[in-house]
Amino acid sequence: ALQSHQSDSHPCPLIVGVVLPRAKTTPEPLRFPTIITRAIIKGRRPWIPGGETMAFFNGGSRALVEILTRFQSAERPMPVDHTFFEFGSVRYHVQASASDPENVYLSISTPSLSHEASPSTGLPEFTLQEATKMYHKFAEVVEPSKEGYALTLKLNFSGLARPKDRARAVRQVSLLQSVILGSQLKHLLGSLGSSGATKLVYNHRDPFFVSRTPGKISAIFPMRFRDDTDLAVATSFFQELQDAGSSYARAPRCSWSAIPPPELRGEPVHHLTTNGGFVSFDIFERHVKRKRAAKTAWILLNFQAYVKYHIKCTRNYIQSRMRKRQETLAEVILNARLRGGDEKKKLQGNFTRKLLLSTQTEFRKAVDTITSLILICYEKEIAGCD
Amino acid sequence: ANTLRLYLTCIRNTLEAAMCLQNFPCQEVERHNKPEVELKTSSELLLNPVLICRNEAEKCLVETSINSIRISLKVKQADELENILAKKFLRFLSMRAEAFQVLRRKPVQGYDISFLITNYHCEDMHKHKLIDFIVQFMEDIDKEISELKLSVNTRGRLVATEFLKQFI
Repeated sequence: ALQSHQSDSHPCPLIVGVVLPRAKTTPEPLRFPTIITRAIIKGRRPWIPGGETMAFFNGGSRALVEILTRFQSAERPMPVDHTFFEFGSVRYHVQASASDPENVYLSISTPSLSHEASPSTGLPEFTLQEATKMYHKFAEVVEPSKEGYALTLKLNFSGLARPKDRARAVRQVSLLQSVILGSQLKHLLGSLGSSGATKLVYNHRDPFFVSRTPGKISAIFPMRFRDDTDLAVATSFFQELQDAGSSYARAPRCSWSAIPPPELRGEPVHHLTTNGGFVSFDIFERHVKRKRAAKTAWILLNFQAYVKYHIKCTRNYIQSRMRKRQETLAEVILNARLRGGDEKKKLQGNFTRKLLLSTQTEFRKAVDTITSLILICYEKEIAGCD
Repeated sequence: ANTLRLYLTCIRNTLEAAMCLQNFPCQEVERHNKPEVELKTSSELLLNPVLICRNEAEKCLVETSINSIRISLKVKQADELENILAKKFLRFLSMRAEAFQVLRRKPVQGYDISFLITNYHCEDMHKHKLIDFIVQFMEDIDKEISELKLSVNTRGRLVATEFLKQFI
């Protein structure tokens, strides 16, 4: 489903900082369900009949891994100019020229994590420093970044001789978005001091709260749903999440409550009005040690989207089960008819239409056959008379 | 299970007794033939309704007239999730009432789903199979709602487990 377009064979300038020509056609942004579908875990199937697979949110961009791997493994240098979207709002641009195959320019535009819902602007200095620190072995930050993008990296894997190192580097690059978000979250948490609570908004979604106390950080998500069915499914999920949390000691402790937790005392009422309650995750030092911070931040920032996806899949499953049961029950009433089995099909809506159509087609064929036979007989008669 | 068997047997026996329908043109409008159980204009054409209760939450109302019979069911709903699932499922079936012929598009007030059987249905279908359908419908509804609830909870548990595994 990845749509990308190569630019024409115009040689790209090698000077850093010049606005490079954009791709001629920008592909349709990959929609959220498409990305989730492509992130399906292969080979893991729940026991539920129907065998639906479940998705999880991978922090790395699989599309980016595919493009960079393909570029590196190409037999001869080829120009690359890909623009693609992920999650509907994250935009990547990958560009390389045939005359300079060692340097690949990767640009990213991502919504920011901030206190209020605001349009995304350039990345702050600490994020650029974090990216430089993370990728200093094979990349450097290009300033100013490409127009329309928050960050541009110049990637050069020639210093990595072993294919395994290159593959690892490509995987690290694919985590760029989670690195950016992780650094933003770290900075926002740092501004809280040793204790306090603040509201955060990511990508114009529903705001959530982060509360810091000595020894732990709590991420609190007020959950709101429009539909009663969504609410019922989500409530069941939150209770299971709370119960499952006790089995996994290494995962953050999860709790759900219908009323606002004590950490949110003092927050405005309109932020605390929900119908789905509040889901809290307690993050301790072991969850953010070393490189886990970016991954933990990524997982938590996508929690609300994860819940919505689970609800959507559950509704689809319920719908398909209801449809199957309806067909089973409809067969029972059809079998109750006094006449034979062939006519039973006439009564079902879809079958009636198909039967009528096939009957009409057969009737027309029969009429055509008879007409042609009559014509043949007539011609024979005329020929006989002559 | 015992109470369910008794409940269904009682309903079956009631329907076998009540389903003695004949064609009866409308007494008030010429050349019209209407199910009298719906109109309830002439009391002499109506029989006493029978209410069969399994418990406070589950009951079945059988209203009979000379040319039609109306069966209304109230399905068990133990909690909020079952309530939502039952409402959703029965509404799904009611919207496709033409596939069932004897199903009413809108349930009688106070009940979750209703059937309307007329003398024409009795002429087109076997009476005992019609009653079997009603009874099987009731069993399948209960079974389906229980299975849906179980599936929703199980899915939730699996998804929650997978979510937490990401942190490990």
